[in-house]
Amino acid sequence: MKKIISLLLVFTFGLSSCEKDDICDPDTPTTPRLVFTFYKINSPSELQNVTDLMVIGEDEKTGIIFNETATDTTKYLANGSTISIPLKTNVNSTTYTFILDSQNDNPAAINTDAIKFNYTHQDVYVSRACGFKTTFTLDPLSTSPPFSVPFVQTDTDGNGLWMQEVFVINPNIENENETHIKVFF
Amino acid sequence: MKHTLKYFFSSCLLFSMVLVQAQETTTTTVTKEAVPAKPKTESAKPELQEAAKPDSIKTDRYGLRVGVDLYKLTRGLYDKDYKGIEIVGDFRLTKKYYIAAELGFEDKTTDDDRLNSTATGTYIKGGFDYNLYQNWLDMENLITIGLRGGFSTFSQNLNSYKIYNPNPYWGEQPAIIADKKYNGLTAGWLEVAMGVKAKVFNNVFVGFGVQLKMLVANTKPDGFDNLYIPGFNRTYDGSFGIGFNYTVSYFIPIYKKKTVIPQIKKDAPKK
Repeated sequence: MKKIISLLLVFTFGLSSCEKDDICDPDTPTTPRLVFTFYKINSPSELQNVTDLMVIGEDEKTGIIFNETATDTTKYLANGSTISIPLKTNVNSTTYTFILDSQNDNPAAINTDAIKFNYTHQDVYVSRACGFKTTFTLDPLSTSPPFSVPFVQTDTDGNGLWMQEVFVINPNIENENETHIKVFF
Repeated sequence: MKHTLKYFFSSCLLFSMVLVQAQETTTTTVTKEAVPAKPKTESAKPELQEAAKPDSIKTDRYGLRVGVDLYKLTRGLYDKDYKGIEIVGDFRLTKKYYIAAELGFEDKTTDDDRLNSTATGTYIKGGFDYNLYQNWLDMENLITIGLRGGFSTFSQNLNSYKIYNPNPYWGEQPAIIADKKYNGLTAGWLEVAMGVKAKVFNNVFVGFGVQLKMLVANTKPDGFDNLYIPGFNRTYDGSFGIGFNYTVSYFIPIYKKKTVIPQIKKDAPKK
């Protein structure tokens, strides 16, 4: 009998040892962002770093924070070859303005483009702690009815589009491990 | 969860206390049995004489015990998110073994930070209990350890949920009302049940028990999870579960069996 009891004790401790808390692990893949990668227009296989790129959502006052550690305006500036931007999870389009070289003293050097993304969104169950996540599917390019476009580019400041070519590489935005949009400039 | 843990620890504490007491009683019975053997020592053949002396006879009652889980029944009065009932029963098979079963219904709304869901369904559990407690004379108390297999059929309703967005640039979205029902769900599990039952008067017993459970089969709904399984309790990331009950039951005696206390025969061949 003692053997049985000790066996049961081992069994129960074995069960209880590997339980996670009810806190959503930050490493869990949840709602993904749209991942952009920038390439050189003249040499399409080479990555191109952006200069002081500021990305501001429509009707928002502040830009997306790219640099968590900075305290001044530099936290809104991206200088790498890739950026990730969050889409609205409750509607089917999100508009952003992309301000290249935003800190330049010469106003003529600053170039602003706007892009409106059209998509559908789905809510997917993750776990008890994390709840649901939203994944997105960019609308396909369709020239016959029903018409749809994945994105609409507009030149808000009238000095030409700095994003000369924009391609949708992966219309299914389910994680942040891969590039969804390639931009050549 | 806090309450479950509290109950678990307090019952563990009680178990340990009762176990200590159980050891005391066995030692006292041994000394008591040793006493009548003493005066008959003058003979050359002590074995024969000991076998001839009248054995102490104990009458064990066999029958069916049925009851109800008061914890589940009364919880519905103070917890608006819970409705449940559990009927418990056991039948004494041998001196130490009992066949045991539980039958129940639960309706529980689980309100987590990001999810609110309701599980409704019935369950059945069956197995056996082994009585570890050595009773004095005609006492009929039990300290049991047992095994059960459990099975539940239930439905789940996802009432509302929140989107987890680690980059809330566009602000945190309020909870989304889903009201989506998932029917025809089933789950099966094994549990180790530890319990105490004490006869309070006549044939009325009061008992409590804790169960440690392991989920073995679980049909998860498409695009959701079973957050609560009637009979199993809430689920965790693994297959582990825990349960608690507080029962009041009535014993229906069916027949009696006289048993000879075996210690005397064990003592006989000793020289």
